[in-house]
Amino acid sequence: MFSKMAELLLDSNIRFWVFLPIIMITFLVGILRHYFSLIIASQKKVELLQVQDSQALVRSRLLRENGKFLPRQAFLMRRHFFNSEDMGYFKTQKRAAPTTNPMTDPNAMTDMLKGNVTNVLPMIIIGGWINWAFSGFVTTKVPFPLTLRFKPMLQRGVELVSLDASWVSSASWYFLNVFGLRSIYSLVLGENNAADQTKAMADQMSGAAMAMPQDPKAAFKAEWESLEIVQHQWALRNVEAELLGITSHSKTD
Amino acid sequence: MEKQSKHWEDVRDLFRNWREENCRQSEDVVDLWKEVLVNHFSKLGDEGWLVLEQVFIAALDCHSMEVANFCLSKLNQEFPDSMRVKRLKAMKYEALERYEDALDILDIIIKKDETNAASRKRKVTIYKSQGMIIEAIKELTDYLRIFMADQEAWMELSDLYISQQEWNKAAFCVEELILHSPFNHLYLQRYAEIKYTQGGYENLEVARSYYAQAAKLNPNNVRALYGLLLTSVHMASNSKCPSQKKKESIKLSEWATNQLSQLQSSNDSKLFSSQILEGMGNLQIGNDAKN
Repeated sequence: MFSKMAELLLDSNIRFWVFLPIIMITFLVGILRHYFSLIIASQKKVELLQVQDSQALVRSRLLRENGKFLPRQAFLMRRHFFNSEDMGYFKTQKRAAPTTNPMTDPNAMTDMLKGNVTNVLPMIIIGGWINWAFSGFVTTKVPFPLTLRFKPMLQRGVELVSLDASWVSSASWYFLNVFGLRSIYSLVLGENNAADQTKAMADQMSGAAMAMPQDPKAAFKAEWESLEIVQHQWALRNVEAELLGITSHSKTD
Repeated sequence: MEKQSKHWEDVRDLFRNWREENCRQSEDVVDLWKEVLVNHFSKLGDEGWLVLEQVFIAALDCHSMEVANFCLSKLNQEFPDSMRVKRLKAMKYEALERYEDALDILDIIIKKDETNAASRKRKVTIYKSQGMIIEAIKELTDYLRIFMADQEAWMELSDLYISQQEWNKAAFCVEELILHSPFNHLYLQRYAEIKYTQGGYENLEVARSYYAQAAKLNPNNVRALYGLLLTSVHMASNSKCPSQKKKESIKLSEWATNQLSQLQSSNDSKLFSSQILEGMGNLQIGNDAKN
């Protein structure tokens, strides 16, 4: 039984042919990914109708919230503009419902494809290649003791029961690099670079990459309803009385 | 301002500050650029392009075409296809009063990118600077039909309508501004002024309420206080006014007079004098008093 494991001495060739190459490969792949995504990135084209709709919704929301600061007639006039049965904005503006299935929208499809090409594909290819070319090496040792639980994380590809948990295998070293190079990238490429894989992965987890375009029809209907039930209470009704310091002075409207 | 001792980094921060707060310190910007920043342009990095844009617009303001041309050519070299630079080019033509060329460029930009709000607004300014107010109003209303939450545009449109004495329409625009920021006492005061100008008993009543609200939000708003005084005196002398309202109006006018005399005698007389002078249109003296 070992009370203390004998010091392992790594071949210095491992440093030059495994440890450093893995760092270089992950770093360079990140840089490549950044420039590649810059090349194929497509500017998001905003439709004029979309702008108009969103601005109308903003204006209607403001009317609901702050309409009480307008005289009654001004409020009613604006509500009529939005809600009137035969000529209101929310009633007459017919918008086609967005394609319910993103698979049928060619734009969304190319975006998804681009995301996959820059994020998932290199990860699989490079990861597989690293696993194949550099598997089975013990590359380095973290300078602190770790419990046995860390063994599957740090020693992927090296299934040795007796090896101390603070040794890192080559495959795990690759993953540590993938996740740990973020600050180096922001140093080299500046903020908001596309080299970082972790962000893309988080996107995929939460499904944010698949966010559906909002449906103006539904938004209009909801806004129409909430605007319809707003009661106009002029906020300035008693302002003169308040100024004079008369409280709860009821005035005739 | 002591410009000799300014370090380029301080100037950069100052410019950034002005950009963020939309300060129009055009002469200072051009002077500081010529004296300090032009020699350190390469050190600015990516921010340099923003600074160039800022200096370009400031230079147009001061009509120093040399500086403007320098900035524009640099920007054009770096971003030959950029819409933003094209818009700046249109602004240069505008400053040179070559309005047709400017309009051509703007039309091309809008054709390419329909949602380019800034270019549409520039078209309005071109009409306005030529004195074609009707065309400017038409252009601006077309713009507002699409970008209907644009506060700035509503403000401009209300000014244009006021210049045409279209009080009802101007009031509508100011109503939009009030919807946007209901606690801005200046908008409320402006609304009251328009209503007061329109005249008529109902409008006077509305004007009084909005003057009162403005005075409530900012007790130092002398203009609103004077407006309140005037409207309530008018209302009290109006034959349509029911007696209860008449009483209230008289009380209000007394209150406003009180407030005004208090303001005058208070220790804050400096602020007051500057404001009242401003109100009377002696802007120059008002500015001196502020500094």
